[in-house]
Amino acid sequence: MAYRSEGGYYNYSACENRNEGGQFIKNFISCNILLYSVNNYYPYSFYNEKEERKMKITRIVIKEMWYRRLTSAVILLTVIVASSVTVAIYTLSKASEDETRKIMREQGLNLYIFPKGTNLIDFYSVNNTGTFPDNYVDVLAESATFDAVRHLTGILQIKYSDWKDSNGSTHQIVLFGYKDEAQQKYLPAQEIMGFDVKKGTVQVGALMAKNIKPEEPFVIIGVDGKRYSFTIEKRLEEGRGMMDQGVSFNLEDLQQVLGMEGKINKIEALGCVCKDGRIKNARKQVQSIFSDLEVTEISSIADARENQRVMMNKYGAFIIPFVVISCLLITALLFYQNVNARSCEVGLLKAMGNSSFTILFLFLFKAFILGLAGGVIGFFLGDMIAEYFGKEIFSFTAANIKTVWPVFYYTILIFPVLWMLSSWIPALIATRIDAAKTLSKE
Amino acid sequence: MPHTAHQKYLIMIELTKIAKVYRKGTEEFQALQDLSIKIEKGDFVAVTGASGAGKSTMLNVIGGLIKPDSGTIKFNGKDIYYHNSRETVEYRKRNVGFMFQQFHLMPYLTVLENIKLACFENDQLNNIERFLEKCSLSPLKNKYPHELSVGEKQRTAFVRAIITNPKILLADEPTGNLDPENSRILMTLVEDHHKKGGTVILVSHDPLTSQYANSSILLEKGRLKK
Repeated sequence: MAYRSEGGYYNYSACENRNEGGQFIKNFISCNILLYSVNNYYPYSFYNEKEERKMKITRIVIKEMWYRRLTSAVILLTVIVASSVTVAIYTLSKASEDETRKIMREQGLNLYIFPKGTNLIDFYSVNNTGTFPDNYVDVLAESATFDAVRHLTGILQIKYSDWKDSNGSTHQIVLFGYKDEAQQKYLPAQEIMGFDVKKGTVQVGALMAKNIKPEEPFVIIGVDGKRYSFTIEKRLEEGRGMMDQGVSFNLEDLQQVLGMEGKINKIEALGCVCKDGRIKNARKQVQSIFSDLEVTEISSIADARENQRVMMNKYGAFIIPFVVISCLLITALLFYQNVNARSCEVGLLKAMGNSSFTILFLFLFKAFILGLAGGVIGFFLGDMIAEYFGKEIFSFTAANIKTVWPVFYYTILIFPVLWMLSSWIPALIATRIDAAKTLSKE
Repeated sequence: MPHTAHQKYLIMIELTKIAKVYRKGTEEFQALQDLSIKIEKGDFVAVTGASGAGKSTMLNVIGGLIKPDSGTIKFNGKDIYYHNSRETVEYRKRNVGFMFQQFHLMPYLTVLENIKLACFENDQLNNIERFLEKCSLSPLKNKYPHELSVGEKQRTAFVRAIITNPKILLADEPTGNLDPENSRILMTLVEDHHKKGGTVILVSHDPLTSQYANSSILLEKGRLKK
């Protein structure tokens, strides 16, 4: 049990209990550690006096907010509006980015690196394209000068003319062998976009899958005449272009089947999706390392999505500051009005010996509480708005509209600070109130 | 009669050639001019005069709320405006209690909370209940100002003013909004505070309240009228 001595410090009766043998030592040590920290960091009189004063000041703020709840509600609303608009636009922009990335992933990455001189028409129709060593991918990934493209995936893509299904029918299919996506050594790591196929398994395109019974493995005859059997890990959904009629392997597996160990015939990559001519950079950089390769850009639907994302970012870059600044100005006016309404209260507090710092704190703390509460509410509201408008207006897939939790931490940090800043000048005006004048008013 | 050294020690407040001018644009109004007063410890001084005579200004100058344009104000021999503003604030916090005609209670705080607002030490908090009892405010301690009568409000303001046991109680027309009965009740409390050793400076137009004082000062156009 704790009790307060005449000196105002905490003591602990258990620390004085000498009747418990070994237990005494444990109690003695732990009690005195506790007492030391409590008394030295929070001496009773200081702690309680300060705690009382603190309670009074914060209590004044909260009670005043409730008393003038209409004004407080309007200020809260300004924060909610500002933070929800910010969060909604940011979330939609992120969803747009994710959507673009997903489309690009589904459509294939937007840059191809081929052996120089490759005719793309030939690439898609016959198998007489050149090959190059698969370690070219690793060399590019480890190059400090190669930064115009990301997500390098080495691929061996071959048309296989005589594949027989379990019914004996012959089909012409496309075989894709995917090397694990290379992480570039000198660039920050990013989420993998390339195709990831485990060794011993395959992923089968939608049209291809119709020719393979459920539970059946995928069987193919290699160039060495051997029969290779692979577990079907996934049957892909339709709409993946050439992959619909193809089979995706782990690169080493396919190289073994085809007798093309160490070979690939293209590298897929993601170039910067922007309009500043970085594709030229990519071409230059690749050719400075491998003069026998060249870069081709595939324009796709991703461009359209990217245009949408750019447009959204442009609107966002205007709307967010406009809304936030407008809300801050409204808040500043409301606080100014609040200061005027409370001039007698401020005068009284000064007459009672409260410092300018206390007066400042009254208003800034109020702004902080409202900024924090509004920021939190606005975050969740903005998230809901993003989800609704994202699906209804921008046709984003729901799965791409995700709550961006890191923004939450910025919201609870930035909005209280911004709202405190908006109340700064009115608070300073409050500190300059002439107490004698306001208290003498009739 | 010149004060002896012992009597000098008893002088709590000394105003010497105080002047204060209010300016509004090009217009000037001399609120106080060449005002010199000595108030002893334990005095109950009534300050009277016509409107605009400078009574409230004098009170605010003594209370450390208005710095005079010239002259000195000493409290227990120490110039209250000589040092930085923080020390003046400290002087006001520890030594001065204010009462106003308009009560100036915080509308969103209860009676108890309004009184606690003035406290800056635990011992003061411990005395609240006693004062509430004395002023017949105990049943009302959790009421808000809008729920109180005028007399109850002013008694609350009185407790708030004296809860810190200030050396000086400055009362600016405390009975200005009260009926005779409430005025009498309030002045009895003020007199009681005075009898316990408090120094009171009271501004009032009301001759009845001035009767409680043991000395009076008449101001006219910012000067002491002899």
